[in-house]
Amino acid sequence: MTSPVNPSVVGSAVLYLALVTAIGIWAAGRTKSAKDFFIAGQKIGWIVTAFATMSAAFSGFVFMGGPGLMYRVGVASLFICIPVGFTSGFLCWVVGKRLRLLAGLREIYTVSDVILVRYGSRRASGLAAVAVIIGTIGYLGAQIQALGILIEMVFGTGALLGQWSLPAAMILGCAVVVFYATAGGMVAGVYTDLIQGVLMVVAAVAVFVYCLQSGGGLEAMSRSIIASDAFGPSHLDPFGTLSVMTAVGFFFVFAVGLLGQPHMLHKFFMLSDPRTLKWMPLVIGLTQSACVLIWLGIGLTVPALVAQGRMTALVNPDQAAPQFLLSCTPPILAGLVFAGVLAAIMSTADSFLNIGSAAIVRDLPKAFGRRVSNEFLWGRVAVVGIAVFAAVFAFLYKDLIALVGTFAFGTFAAALAPAVAIGLNWRRVTATAATASMATGMVVNLGLEFLSKQTFLDWLPSVSLKAGVLPAAVSLSASFTVLLFLTWLSPARSQSPLDPDVDFVMDL
Amino acid sequence: MAQRYALLFLGLASPAMLVCSWFPGFVAELCFVLLVMAFPAALIALAVTRNGKLGPLWVPLVALTLILEGCGVAMLLLRGHVLEGPWFGGFPVGTAVQIYGLWLGPLLLVALAYGWTFSRWELREEDLRRFDARRNRSKGDAEG
Repeated sequence: MTSPVNPSVVGSAVLYLALVTAIGIWAAGRTKSAKDFFIAGQKIGWIVTAFATMSAAFSGFVFMGGPGLMYRVGVASLFICIPVGFTSGFLCWVVGKRLRLLAGLREIYTVSDVILVRYGSRRASGLAAVAVIIGTIGYLGAQIQALGILIEMVFGTGALLGQWSLPAAMILGCAVVVFYATAGGMVAGVYTDLIQGVLMVVAAVAVFVYCLQSGGGLEAMSRSIIASDAFGPSHLDPFGTLSVMTAVGFFFVFAVGLLGQPHMLHKFFMLSDPRTLKWMPLVIGLTQSACVLIWLGIGLTVPALVAQGRMTALVNPDQAAPQFLLSCTPPILAGLVFAGVLAAIMSTADSFLNIGSAAIVRDLPKAFGRRVSNEFLWGRVAVVGIAVFAAVFAFLYKDLIALVGTFAFGTFAAALAPAVAIGLNWRRVTATAATASMATGMVVNLGLEFLSKQTFLDWLPSVSLKAGVLPAAVSLSASFTVLLFLTWLSPARSQSPLDPDVDFVMDL
Repeated sequence: MAQRYALLFLGLASPAMLVCSWFPGFVAELCFVLLVMAFPAALIALAVTRNGKLGPLWVPLVALTLILEGCGVAMLLLRGHVLEGPWFGGFPVGTAVQIYGLWLGPLLLVALAYGWTFSRWELREEDLRRFDARRNRSKGDAEG
């Protein structure tokens, strides 16, 4: 999209980029060991951890993609984000406490470490690392791509640099994230996440209030949408234009699948004191819900303005948020939101850089029974390597990376959620069942998603499920089924004894 | 006992959801909605059970299940009735159920229930004492 350069937007973006760079410089002095680099020295307070969890969970999709999706399919799109009403408590109850306690007793920096300690199986742990690496490349590539597009839009580099505009914008955005992620590791990651989280909440609430005013209130907007030919009553039907299986499938994947998202689970390892888990769900739930207001606000206002004839119908629904912000909101608000979107993208990207580097320098070598001698140094090198690889991959294979990015959440969910969530709460789960469940989740999800959507390799068969059924929901159910039934079918004598620390933590 | 029921539910619900995915029609959709909405509560029950009991968490867990199940079924029944039903909070009733019920309904219930029961059930003083003692022992072993 080419748009006129807005000085407020440019100013906010420059200020924001300078701020996160400064945090990177400050954090570099506080990052002295692998523990500092990967889990911020396990010294982070609960409010910072809560904001870091929230901002890492929400990528730019909530701010830009969500309103566009709502413009396209109506309020049914909200099934992706409304699980935030209960998922913060759900996450803390099901896995949060045990992850934090385990990390207090053992050297645990990653989800693969948890799998290794829980199941005592290098194969299971290695498989978890592979799932993390695949998902990381997809997520990170998509974030870098989005970062490039946003920087290009904000700074108007398209007119100046032509075909080199997008790669230049991607390099600029990537350089800032890589700088603070390399220099300050997770210390920089969580403190930038705190700033980013505050910015996201303020921007989302401010835009929501502005939307209510400009659209004439919720009821006026709803009635305009229902009465319009372009949208009609189905736009405000809870299931909208989606099938029940799709909408409720989204709810299932984005609620239960959260238990397998490494960038969220990882935050529990950093918490300084397990006692402070107490009010974390309240802060995470309220801040996530505040961020979702932007999805609801713009997603409702843009169709209402189009229905009222105050805005032209969008050719590309994905332009709902940028077009509304650039043409309908005061420049200062647009600046705040664009900084908020940059924050959302970068906070997710830095989490994945750290997790991906840990998977490469810790988890994979451990799966082969080896240990990298200087994890701190090689962790930094790996951050740069992953960023370069994901950026080049995202630039060369734009469509492929977008596709991988969209099903990364489902891959994590199906591969990791059952093994982590059931495994930490039921002693009987065996390493074989966990390994089979992870393999099932990964293969079924990647297979179904890729074969149903890919257009790159003509010779591959196309597989499609019943209309509306989500591959991620199928793979997550299949992964739970395999884990539970293989565990039940395993004779009691085949179970190896639990690690004493794991046994102790599961008893609490 | 609660853990056993939770596992039984999860074990039956997971393949049942796969079966629902293959069949068209209202019954399959209704079953899918009922199973999906009860799934989170079953996982919570599995995690928080102590000595077979849910303790003070049984009230918020039952309330969460009822809210999710009630909203899911209500939305299913209200599908296609946007023009006919009453309005609530600026939306047709089906959308209001989705936004105020399914999203905002559990928000304070779950977060406050977690905070209020935390020291009594989730992580008690006695648990923390045991945890600190074990951690100190592990540190001592590592240093020794």
